[in-house]
Amino acid sequence: MRASRYEIFMYASIAAVPALIFLIFLSTYAGASAVASALSYLLIIAMAVFFVTGAKEVFVHARYQEGARPILQGERRVYPHMGRPIRGAEVVSLNVRRFNSETNKFDEASYKVNATKHTTVLGALLDIKSYSDNTLSVRCNCRMGICGSCGVVVNGKQKLACETNLLESSENGSVTVSPMLGHPMLKDLADNFDDFFKRHISVSPTLERKDVKEKYAAKQEYKMSKEDTDKFLPYSYCIMCGLCLDACPVVNSNPNFVGPQALSQAYRYHADKRDQGGKRRLFDADTADGAWGCEFAGACSSACPKGVDPAAAIQLLKSDIMKNMLEEE
Amino acid sequence: MDVLDYDVLILGSGIAGLTAAIHAYRSSGGKVRIAIVSKLHAMRSHSVAAEGGVSGVLYPQLDKDSEELHAYDTVKGSDYLADQDAVDVLVKGAPKEIKFFDHIGVPWNRREQGRIMQRPFGGMTVPRTAFAADKTGFFMMRALYDEVLGCKDIDIFHEHFATSLILQKDGTSGFVAMDLANREIKAFRSKSTIIATGGASRVFGFTTNSYSNTGDGTAMAYRAGIPVKDMEFVQFHPTALVPSGILITEAARGEGGYLRNSDGRRFMEDYAKSKMELAPRDIVSRAIITEINNGKGLVDDESGMKYVYLDLRHLEPGKIDERLPMIKEMTIKMLNIDPSKEQIPIRPAAHFTMGGIHTDIHGRVMKSPTQPHDGLWAAGECACVSVHGANRLGSNSLSQCSVWGRMTGTAAAKKSMKLGHDRGRFTIEAEREAAALESLLDRKGDVNPYELKEEMHEVMDTHLYVYRNMKGMAYAREKLRSIYNRYGRVYVSDKGNTYNTNLRDVLELRNLIDLASIITECAIRRKESRGAHVVLEHPKRDDKRYLKHTIAQRSLRGMKVSYIPVKLGQFEPQERKY
Repeated sequence: MRASRYEIFMYASIAAVPALIFLIFLSTYAGASAVASALSYLLIIAMAVFFVTGAKEVFVHARYQEGARPILQGERRVYPHMGRPIRGAEVVSLNVRRFNSETNKFDEASYKVNATKHTTVLGALLDIKSYSDNTLSVRCNCRMGICGSCGVVVNGKQKLACETNLLESSENGSVTVSPMLGHPMLKDLADNFDDFFKRHISVSPTLERKDVKEKYAAKQEYKMSKEDTDKFLPYSYCIMCGLCLDACPVVNSNPNFVGPQALSQAYRYHADKRDQGGKRRLFDADTADGAWGCEFAGACSSACPKGVDPAAAIQLLKSDIMKNMLEEE
Repeated sequence: MDVLDYDVLILGSGIAGLTAAIHAYRSSGGKVRIAIVSKLHAMRSHSVAAEGGVSGVLYPQLDKDSEELHAYDTVKGSDYLADQDAVDVLVKGAPKEIKFFDHIGVPWNRREQGRIMQRPFGGMTVPRTAFAADKTGFFMMRALYDEVLGCKDIDIFHEHFATSLILQKDGTSGFVAMDLANREIKAFRSKSTIIATGGASRVFGFTTNSYSNTGDGTAMAYRAGIPVKDMEFVQFHPTALVPSGILITEAARGEGGYLRNSDGRRFMEDYAKSKMELAPRDIVSRAIITEINNGKGLVDDESGMKYVYLDLRHLEPGKIDERLPMIKEMTIKMLNIDPSKEQIPIRPAAHFTMGGIHTDIHGRVMKSPTQPHDGLWAAGECACVSVHGANRLGSNSLSQCSVWGRMTGTAAAKKSMKLGHDRGRFTIEAEREAAALESLLDRKGDVNPYELKEEMHEVMDTHLYVYRNMKGMAYAREKLRSIYNRYGRVYVSDKGNTYNTNLRDVLELRNLIDLASIITECAIRRKESRGAHVVLEHPKRDDKRYLKHTIAQRSLRGMKVSYIPVKLGQFEPQERKY
């Protein structure tokens, strides 16, 4: 590492100590006392100034120079009027599998991050982006687990980066983050969602009404009980993060399978009393690559960060399809 | 260079933008071609983070409520800076919007006989905030997005970052946007453009807002010469989680939560005896900071932030699970705190920009303080219709977004759809923008944009927080000037074409710095304390000199600040007490 200007300042002032001792010696024992003592005072002041500026720059600012020191996550968020800075952070090495869009390959990168007990994986990634590697890309927005942007794979498990604690997921002081491999890749940790959105659209996820005029004029609310709402509420928490699709073993072998996210949304609208799509939704889902494509591995439900349980939705969809068939016969 | 022609262009995909798209489509019978351009995936806009609910008088007889009362609460909450004709439009339109959201699939919490349940909220005399647990904004966004998918001809451009607004003399308007996926520059052209880009609270470091809330639309409009209004009024939400700034909804207090200082005392009785914790947000925020300044706060070990407690332990079991599940989920995931057993550490954080693009009561963007621009609308948080005045009441924002979303969407679709053949300026503009981006990438700078942003955050958080003082604001102005100058030396490390978030962040920073300067300048000139804007040297409201809106407009000699009168109505300004 090249020594910075400020470090030279600091070390120079330390190196000046023997000269100072020599001057003091001159002023006390040798003849030229007035000149030497004036010089030694000047030297003391200069040394102090050099030392303070140098030390401040070295200890406060040097860590922002690339690779100079690990980044202190969190400390930079503290502003003077809010109190004192953070102490006692723990060093975690964050291994990021970055997708390189030019070579279509993964680059492994490792960063040292100082983590406190509140540091999230997303927070750490954004600190890396801010202070050690501006080129790192991760998709994020709300940082409170509701927008669905930051689905990644942390230590092999599908997670939202913003609500995953870094220290809790650290194994022997290291955490590995990779993009979701079940989606087409875009850059670094960001996936391309075009295909995912198409799957969602394919189940016509719109509340269908026959009274179109009332739907937009909205004069009267549709009466619903709590029980009516509870039938579809668990499936309406979907934030479209794509983690379930990434986890689904069926989609990974048969890309034509519509996938857990879209099917859970088909069931969400089917179970909504207000929806008048009727049997069309069942008919649409009644295909080999629709509801029947699901092999009930349940990986989607354990991956879902919002507890949607798409696997259960698909089974309910299947049973409604069967019931409908029996009724028709 | 692509120039894409549309009948209606919508910039931004939050509740206002998507509502506008739906109503533009429906009111024209699906005949107009509509494009939604969003810098995010359209369903991920910051509106998803709205928690508490949406206000509106649903059952006047049953609840002994009236539109007049809603209007009074809003005007009093605004510290009499709201335009009362606009407030009328809001309270009359809001109930319909709540029912519209019922019709497109929002799972409202219900009361007996299938009616929509409403909860108490800060500054509202009666419970009139309809809600779907504490994920109201999220459910509204999902329902709107799914509804937009049902409108077959609406084109959604996900992850297109707009960089400049183009306004032409013949009434054509549009913008240039960069496709984040491959850094392609596209120009969008239309006769009716709606700006719905949301707020700008990311000029502050400690904020409840998403990373995307950088006020791009407002800054772009300002740079194109459009006046912006009342920018000094920034709402600080009293209860943001320490240390992350994540929002803890006002509904937590609406459902009965207490605020306690380090002595365990409910200190709100000193500040707003009749309303207690449910006083308007500006008052509660000031109360919290006053307590902290008086040494009644606690200190977070790690971040050093000072805070007070939000106490939900006394709520009956089950209420948190039913009405506030997201709060529970978040405090457990982020802080490992169970709200039914422990108190939650909170302090005020920047939450909402009351100001924004100057529009008239119909949502039309004004080109001068008094004259509307043809074919350009603004809706949602980026617009300042002046319904919120100096302080917004909780849950009025979602009503505003949907009321003006519907209004601007319908109006935009109605306007003549014929476009001239002359695409000249748009091609030139797009090429100029592409060249500017290239030169930005090639530039050899020495300033890290993220450090510069943090410096701005520090300035804003220190000097334009809940309490402001003249000396601090003057310092902030100087500092922002230096930050503005150093922005010219910012470097972009990422030279790639694919998903270049580094470049996007640098472009966002330009908008943030512009807006921070406007906020500071307008704040310095308003020498009074009104609503969310409190200056220590001028602690009283001054209706004689400052019962008027601040207008900031870009001119050749820099920023020009002027004032226009407030539209009063049936409610005369009185002393504001709760």
